[in-house]
Amino acid sequence: MYRAGAVQNPWRASLPASRSRLVLAVLLLSMLLLCGRAFFLQAVNHSVLQARGDAYYRRIIEVPAYRGRIVDRNGEPLAVSTPVRSVWAVPSEVEATSAEFAQLARLLELSTHELRARLAETEREFVSLNRSVPPEIAARITALQVPGIFQDTAYRRFYPAGDVMAHLVGFTDLADHGQEGMELAFQKELAGTPGRRGVIRDRKGAVVEDAGLMREAQQGRDVTLSIDARIQSLAFRALRDAVIAQHARAGSIIVLDTQSGEVLALANLPTFNPNNRGQRDPAQLRNRVLTDSFEPGSTLKPFTISVALEEGKVTPDTLIQTAGTFAVGTATIHDAHQEGVLNVAQVIQKSSNIGAAKIALGLTAESMWQMFQSVGFGTAPHLGFPGESGGRLRNYKTWRPIEQATMAYGHGIAVSLAQLAHAYLMFARDGEVIPISLTRSVAEPEAHRVISAKTAKQVRTMLEMAVQPGGTAPAAQIVGYRVGGKTGTAHKPENGTYSESKYIASFVGMAPASHPRFVIAVMIDEPHSGEYYGGQVAAPVFATVMSGALRMFNIAPDAPLTPIALPTSDGVVEEGT
Amino acid sequence: MSDGLARLLNHLPFWPGLALRSPERMRRFRRAQLSLDYDQALFWSTLLLLVLGLIMVYSSSVAIAEASGNFHHQTGYFLYRQATFVAIGLLVGLVTFQIPSKTWQELAPWLFMAGLAMLILVLIPGIGRDVNGARRWVPVGPFSLQPSEFMKLAVALYAADYTCRKMDLLYSLTRGLLPMFGLILLVGFILLREPDFGAFVVIAAIGISVLFIGGMNWRWFIGVLMLMFVGFAVLVFTSPYRRDRMFGFMDPWADALGRGYQLSHSLIAFGRGQWWGVGLGGSLEKLFYLPEAHTDFLLAVIAEELGFAGVCVVTLLFSVLILRVFVIARRAACLDRPFSSLTAYGIGTWLGVQSFINMGVNMGILPTKGLTLPLMSYGGSGIVANCMAIAVVMRIDWESRQLQRGLPA
Repeated sequence: MYRAGAVQNPWRASLPASRSRLVLAVLLLSMLLLCGRAFFLQAVNHSVLQARGDAYYRRIIEVPAYRGRIVDRNGEPLAVSTPVRSVWAVPSEVEATSAEFAQLARLLELSTHELRARLAETEREFVSLNRSVPPEIAARITALQVPGIFQDTAYRRFYPAGDVMAHLVGFTDLADHGQEGMELAFQKELAGTPGRRGVIRDRKGAVVEDAGLMREAQQGRDVTLSIDARIQSLAFRALRDAVIAQHARAGSIIVLDTQSGEVLALANLPTFNPNNRGQRDPAQLRNRVLTDSFEPGSTLKPFTISVALEEGKVTPDTLIQTAGTFAVGTATIHDAHQEGVLNVAQVIQKSSNIGAAKIALGLTAESMWQMFQSVGFGTAPHLGFPGESGGRLRNYKTWRPIEQATMAYGHGIAVSLAQLAHAYLMFARDGEVIPISLTRSVAEPEAHRVISAKTAKQVRTMLEMAVQPGGTAPAAQIVGYRVGGKTGTAHKPENGTYSESKYIASFVGMAPASHPRFVIAVMIDEPHSGEYYGGQVAAPVFATVMSGALRMFNIAPDAPLTPIALPTSDGVVEEGT
Repeated sequence: MSDGLARLLNHLPFWPGLALRSPERMRRFRRAQLSLDYDQALFWSTLLLLVLGLIMVYSSSVAIAEASGNFHHQTGYFLYRQATFVAIGLLVGLVTFQIPSKTWQELAPWLFMAGLAMLILVLIPGIGRDVNGARRWVPVGPFSLQPSEFMKLAVALYAADYTCRKMDLLYSLTRGLLPMFGLILLVGFILLREPDFGAFVVIAAIGISVLFIGGMNWRWFIGVLMLMFVGFAVLVFTSPYRRDRMFGFMDPWADALGRGYQLSHSLIAFGRGQWWGVGLGGSLEKLFYLPEAHTDFLLAVIAEELGFAGVCVVTLLFSVLILRVFVIARRAACLDRPFSSLTAYGIGTWLGVQSFINMGVNMGILPTKGLTLPLMSYGGSGIVANCMAIAVVMRIDWESRQLQRGLPA
């Protein structure tokens, strides 16, 4: 193959074949080495490398569980989750014309300026634009096809009842965790368990492959409250009207079903709209019925009388001198009105402090304490609501006589409105108390007897007298029904003493008095319209709500349908405290 | 063996001509080969590498092209550009094929100087373009020119020319060896300013290989090589930073989110590929995990999508290509054409060393350097320079065939 003569060519000697063969061999052996290395990586060590890779790509993502609804006793929705889209962006990838920008901003309910500012953070990989975009708006955002804008499925909590039910239902945070109220109390049941799904993702987080469902999402359970939305709405409106009319600082109301112990309505003012996630004032958020305790005043007198009646120390007809003032140690007890000699029933009817104090001092501290304790004062009612107050009831061994005397008419002791209403079940249920509940209860409540049926009925008769002409709260009367109740007007403690101008006006009552079905407690904090007696301020709210509740539950009237005999204005009996 | 089958075998494009051991078959094969004007195996392996490269550049770049506005969210952005480069490369190759090797020899010093000038031009602020902290490009219209790619061809030509001219002085250290080493170090100095260490390694390999095959004195040669090696070792070991960079590739998992990031993802891609790959288009690593998937780390995507089989095909094609270039070089040497021969050796060394380094880097047996896979990776300058180099070799082959037929080259 070589030309003749090429053998003699001097160049041949200087390009020795051995050297080029060496270089070629080195290069070809290098290629073989590469094949060997590839064999090691791909056929021997591949599972180790794949495991390393899986650490990057394989992710377990949560499949959100649908949060259960909160409904009232009739299935009316109070808190529901609606599917929405959470819209977010990778700012460095966003490209849009200014027209698209404006449109995007409008759909996201942002100003163009704000949208630009958020997308200016180009070093961030994730910028949330709007966490709850309605599905139809989200579809229009998708249609814009702006790169760098992404969407996820999310749920937004919606509260159809708004501020009417805000305190009891509570609300959730952006991550849909319960923050207040029943949303917090029943977080576990409502939230369910998110499912788990294995996915393979690219480095930007987009799912490129579904590796299958690892665990089904467990949907949250619905929670049925004991609340009746109709009564709640009525109670809320009546309370709001009163608080506005009285220029009061706050107000609370609770409605109990005496048969089941269920709370049918519970409202507070001031309130808030749980659908609006803006700034909230802590004062608006407090569920005062359950978390705030106050000195109840005269609403406690029936309990003192009950002890005295139960122990046989007095009968309803026992006469007590209430004229003048009553000195206990260095302190002096006054009555707002001089009534002279009253029987025990009239002490309740007229709400005489001196009468109650005198009866109390005839009792042992222990027996009074026993009564308060039995009806639940001093211990939280265990409703499962976050932050329930147990009130304040000191051990009887530390009571001085003056304290025992003032406690007889509700000073030196603090209770929440829920505790107070709960305690009145004793009179409504002929001497028994049952636990109260915020959720719909099916089982028959476990009752425990505190006083005899006879005593309870006797006190109930006295409570009826209090709302009749000559009593402290004729405004609590309802056409067609016998009503029993007790007013309270307590000076608010301020700086270690009692304020002269700030009151808490309250009223606790029940109807129909012959066989009570509802107990309603109303409390108005610092009425400022000039009127401040419980009978003037709180009793009308009671009457409105009670008559509505009786009608809604079709309770048979137990009184003739005659117009109510209201006393003339100068005939109103002003209560002691 | 039937005559028909033998003829068929003789025309098989990948027949390297080595497996035929019977003298009768050997003769027939040579005749068949010589009846052609070009080396079939070289031509087809080059074309297959280009086409496979084009496909894999597309596959590896789809996601990044679609995701980024820099590429107009066009999935085919890199495909179209690479196809254009290949077309230009083939066209330039066709033109290059027309240029006789004698002309190349005359031009060699000037090309070398022009290349040097271009490399310096890159370094001038305002002219050179920075990408990821390396200044390797000169913008030309819508494209960027990478002078170092063309410098590799210029060095192969110049080293061959130099060795031919100094054939009688190659025994001498000062007059034969050192001037060329000096020039290589000068080029190296400029390239390290960019920095483009990979190109320097390739250029040094071309120069040394040509000198070595050209007959450089053994002892001096080994001495100078040892000296360079020791110098390099001292440089590396005196600085913990450089040592880290040099040996970091040995354990990419130690800093898998930092320096070892790229390599660790490349290795994962290999592991995912196993024997037959996850299938064309199925790579996960190209979904933004593996940076430079369509350029320096193209082989990793090939390994993931086409598996060990794909890697073997690529190494085999490169082996065939290198072998044919060396066979052509040897034939030219036998035909008293030292310049042509040495040029082909230089080009063979270039393609061999660069493909080995690139693939070695991909597999974690060499430190990470910015070197593309010849004929395959995305990049206009690389593709065009590689096509030119293959065309030069094919011209040399054509001239040899002419001479063997007794025709003027």
